[in-house]
Amino acid sequence: MKTNLIMKVMNVIFWIILVGLCIKTGAILTSFLVSIFVNPEAAKDLYLGFDLFNIYELGLSSYVKVVSFLIVLTGMKAYLAFLAVKLFMKFDLDHPFNKNVTDVISKIGYFALSIGIVALVADDYTEGIVKRGADISQLDWGAHEFLFFAGIIYILALVFKRGVEMQEENQLTI
Amino acid sequence: MPIVVNLDVMMATRKMSLNELSEKVGLTLSNLSILKTGKAKAVRFSTLEAICQVLECQPGDILEYVE
Repeated sequence: MKTNLIMKVMNVIFWIILVGLCIKTGAILTSFLVSIFVNPEAAKDLYLGFDLFNIYELGLSSYVKVVSFLIVLTGMKAYLAFLAVKLFMKFDLDHPFNKNVTDVISKIGYFALSIGIVALVADDYTEGIVKRGADISQLDWGAHEFLFFAGIIYILALVFKRGVEMQEENQLTI
Repeated sequence: MPIVVNLDVMMATRKMSLNELSEKVGLTLSNLSILKTGKAKAVRFSTLEAICQVLECQPGDILEYVE
């Protein structure tokens, strides 16, 4: 009973995160396009006070690259939240070990790894522009967190894979 | 798998249908069918005991190792 309630609450939380990340991605993309084609001042408030105008002043190419990384990573995080929602939809506490759940968990693991790698590349790139005088105090890519997360999820996926095998074996024991 | 289940042979010898065996052994038809078709991954001693008791045979009559 308590577990079911926790699952329902977590499902709602993941839906909120998914919607929030989609809005964030769309808002940053719109502000980015406005700052490029209409008014560069939009770079001062990309999303909820997110200011990358100093990078814009440093050079348009750097600004485009940093914001592209930001949009791609936020989009990827939104997809990760979508996978989490999908996991909750497929998860059945009575029969937790099934192929669908294992597939979604594996996908989350691989996707978290991809986010970690993209964030590492973004981190490396922003370190380069810091040397040219950019202020990136508002940027936190979270590369290491995602790599750690990917590792944990990968182990979880292996456990679930073995669980599916054991459950299948149990079902075929007469 | 090198282990062959000869349940159908024993049933034919005893002239017993799958339904009848299912009732006497207390296994569902689907489980007996899984066992008969060799899809089972494991057999409990209690199941083997019940089948041997009903069919009046030895475990070796039901299970056979073939290379």
